[in-house]
Amino acid sequence: MDGGASAAPRAARGGTMQRMARRKSTVAFLLTLPLLAVIGGLVAWPAAYAMYLSTLNRRMTAFIGLENFAILLENDTFRGVIWQSCFFAVTAVILKALIGFWLAHMLHHIPSKGQRLWRGMLLVPWVIPPALSTLGWWWMFEPSYSSLNWLLAIFAVPAVPWLGEPWWARISVIIVNVWYGAPFFMIMYLAALKSVPEQLYEAADIDGASSWQRLRYVTLPMMRNIISITVLFSLIVTFANYDIVRVLTNGGPRDLTHVFASYAFQVGVLSGNIPRGAAVSLFMFPLLAVVAFFVLRGINQRTKEIGA
Amino acid sequence: MADATLSRRGVLAGGAAITALQAPAVFGQAMPTLRCAFWDHWVPTGNGALRQLCGQWGERNRVNVALDFINTTGNQLQLTAAAQAQSRSGHDIISLAPWDVGSYADQLEPVDDVMGRLSAKYGPPNQVAEFLAKQRGSWRAVPATSGTQNKPALCRFDLLQQHAGLDVRAMWPAEDRRGPGADTWTWDTFLRAAEACHRAGVPFGLPMGQFTDAVDWVGALFASYGARVTDERGNPTIRGNAELRQVMDYAVRLARFLPNDVWAWDDASNNRALISGRSALVFNPPSAWAVAKRDAPQVAERCWTIPMPAGPRGRFLAYLPWNSAIWAFGRQKTAAKQLLEFLGERESAEITTNTSNGYDIPPFATMSDFRVWATEGPPVGAIYNYPLKPHHQATPSIAFAPAPPELASQMYIQALNTKVIARVAQGGETVEQALAWLEREINNMRRG
Amino acid sequence: MRTGSLSAERRWALWSAYVSLIVAAIVMLAPPFYMLVTALKTSAEIADMGGNPWIVRSPTLENFAAILGNPMFMGFFWNSIQVTVLVVVLTMLISVPAAFALSRMRFWGSQWLATGVFLTYLVPDTLLFIPLYQIVGGLGLLNSTWGLVLVYPTLTVPFCTWIMIGYFASIPKELDEAALIDGAGWLQMLWRIFIPVALPGIIAATIFAFTVSWAAFVYPTAFITRPDQMPLTIGVVSQLIRGDTFAWGQLMAGALLAALPPVVVYAFLMDYYVAGLTAGATKG
Repeated sequence: MDGGASAAPRAARGGTMQRMARRKSTVAFLLTLPLLAVIGGLVAWPAAYAMYLSTLNRRMTAFIGLENFAILLENDTFRGVIWQSCFFAVTAVILKALIGFWLAHMLHHIPSKGQRLWRGMLLVPWVIPPALSTLGWWWMFEPSYSSLNWLLAIFAVPAVPWLGEPWWARISVIIVNVWYGAPFFMIMYLAALKSVPEQLYEAADIDGASSWQRLRYVTLPMMRNIISITVLFSLIVTFANYDIVRVLTNGGPRDLTHVFASYAFQVGVLSGNIPRGAAVSLFMFPLLAVVAFFVLRGINQRTKEIGA
Repeated sequence: MADATLSRRGVLAGGAAITALQAPAVFGQAMPTLRCAFWDHWVPTGNGALRQLCGQWGERNRVNVALDFINTTGNQLQLTAAAQAQSRSGHDIISLAPWDVGSYADQLEPVDDVMGRLSAKYGPPNQVAEFLAKQRGSWRAVPATSGTQNKPALCRFDLLQQHAGLDVRAMWPAEDRRGPGADTWTWDTFLRAAEACHRAGVPFGLPMGQFTDAVDWVGALFASYGARVTDERGNPTIRGNAELRQVMDYAVRLARFLPNDVWAWDDASNNRALISGRSALVFNPPSAWAVAKRDAPQVAERCWTIPMPAGPRGRFLAYLPWNSAIWAFGRQKTAAKQLLEFLGERESAEITTNTSNGYDIPPFATMSDFRVWATEGPPVGAIYNYPLKPHHQATPSIAFAPAPPELASQMYIQALNTKVIARVAQGGETVEQALAWLEREINNMRRG
Repeated sequence: MRTGSLSAERRWALWSAYVSLIVAAIVMLAPPFYMLVTALKTSAEIADMGGNPWIVRSPTLENFAAILGNPMFMGFFWNSIQVTVLVVVLTMLISVPAAFALSRMRFWGSQWLATGVFLTYLVPDTLLFIPLYQIVGGLGLLNSTWGLVLVYPTLTVPFCTWIMIGYFASIPKELDEAALIDGAGWLQMLWRIFIPVALPGIIAATIFAFTVSWAAFVYPTAFITRPDQMPLTIGVVSQLIRGDTFAWGQLMAGALLAALPPVVVYAFLMDYYVAGLTAGATKG
């Protein structure tokens, strides 16, 4: 995040430079204008509009204040949605981070000429559009024809009701999300591991550090920034996930796998209650604010480090 | 598709799923275009009938009929209707889901004249069709044949004979009479058979999720116990409702004998359960059997359709009717009425039903004798009892009647009837807790 | 790794690395593999519960043929291509100049705007689709690929701008000073110096924008209900899944074909793709 401290002319180098400086802000403004239009018109304005919508009644004819939020909080189903969204996001992100970390480490260990091939294979889930790969998972979970249950049957494990029993359905949704997202963590951590200076490990070896100590005192501190950014980013994306739930369970059984996004869709678009749907999705806002706070703090710290 | 970029919006020609049926232009004069959004048929050949009939009609009346077939997966057809109602533009004719005629009644062209002529010829349509399509004293839609389905019991007669001792072909033969044992075909008999088949490893495949198959059959079960969750005004009638408690009790007992994942089944899961040979009975139109004929003939040969069981208040049949409505803001209302009347006639209805291999059910009871239901096979007669015949002594039913349409359509989409059962049978709540939840949920829908 | 001094511990580490990677690769590739197996089966073989579902006994291409011969599916493909190309071009036209201005031309509020870009990236589409449904509807763009072209930049522009800010910032400052002395204007500078130098970054951003618009799901689900306007993701999920009975073979064939373009791009440009993914983390 370098704001570009250089372009200011150091000293007057004749009239050209001064004219350039005067024209600069105009040009810069024009160059950023489309960006401002996208952010303002398609993000900031809709976000504000969502807040306005959430204060209307079903037919959008009257202002009802915070009534929609009150109704939602009284609703058992919605309280379940809050719980499930948090459970889903936290569990999935932790698993993705752990698996991604593990795989990145394993990749880092093998000779570098084989790394490209393995990296390529392991990154495939992240490349396929999730709505489509989830269809494959759905077919593997299908009650009558489940190929996963067929595999389990080889080991004499009884058939699992993957999508039928609430806890299994929750687990299934998490499995698919972890499958899709772990490669992203892997690739980020791998990039981070590669940027750890080799001398640090050599120094650790001289001090006689065990592999656990190397991890604890060299690798993790060096990766701290990337880990936190990746986790924060993934937390939001996972929290706001829609496609996996939509394709796999559609919220069922008994609305117990709904997350904010899918429930907002069901209430707002399918049942035709736009204001209440807007209210549901606005419940994502607090988490967003918390993450934004941490990200901003991280950015400011780094700007200070660089700018000092 | 080359011109698609020039005219993406509004112009239907060139679109992928659209068939513009053009009649030869006579004297070079411009022909009006009638644009229809119909339910995209679940039977692969099903759209063919409407293509053929609309083509014929268009040629005869010199009208271009442009057909869009819109799928209901993800409620797309319902969303299309909502978007068009809001923007007051779109198709001329649109298929509406059962409860949506009431929701959009104000924006639909009355079709009393069409229905008057059709009823004069074929007698009154069945009472559910009338209840749903006649709003505020006038017909707001023509009950459609294409897509309209019953959901009677589609059984494996060999498995029911072997495990439950029921000879369903004798009870409900492919004739207009009741066989021995038909009178005892009640939900209690059904429960015993479900238990026996469950023990034998071929449990009944009754979905309990949030899709129409589930909501519809549970709706019929509730109706046959006289259990209503609201009155005509939408006030919950849950407190002190003995019928509701009785049917809940029954459903919970039945659920023990179903596969443990029926709570997440979609409209296709029960079909797959039947086709895979793992299930002795499903409530479904003949599509499951038709697919079995292709993919698993040994299963299809042992299938037989019989009416739904009877309850204390009589026999009710799960019925999912589609309606063809004309937007009041459309420009071709006269032509639209003529087309709908043509599609409602017996000859057209029979073509529709034939093309869908007997799947489609016309709204008039006098049309329950099409030959296709007697001749389709093997085994011949498998779907003889699929339409509602007089000797079944049954009434068609729609879940959540008699609630007002706006509330009913929400309860229907949210599948409150299966969820309330699931809260007890799967969630471990007591019946009273689940019913209290149901009441809160209904009140919640009525607020704001 | 110095092979001469492989201690027992290191050899063990290598073995465990390979075992983990093999297990992971099997898990990661199982779903696409099973999709392919299903797509190669006849519907009778899919319905047959008898054998191992993971192998195909009498392979057939009929599912692929049916999908490719289906004008509706080809329409989805065309819609996806159209929307994606337009969105990628639009995204690059918006983010490259903006990133240049934000990273090289300090002006009032540039710092804040750069931070704002990153924060925008954190606002998920699932928060915005309901108000956007109203807005897009108000513009009469529901059920139109143009509606998608309008809203997809919210998914692509912030991150692409972010990547490009990082790339431009890493270009030595002496370059622009030299250019300024030569009398080049800002736009010439961007066009003649920065874009060529930052080309890897631009490719990474393009791939990102391509992948995101190809895979977008929430907006088309909400805004498109007419089959002739649907892009692939929603088209496959909503049109090939029939309500009551549906053809798994065709569904899987369709899903695989729909996933093909990003996979092909990725196979040839993996390093750029990875660079794009990690850009935010390493440059940020």
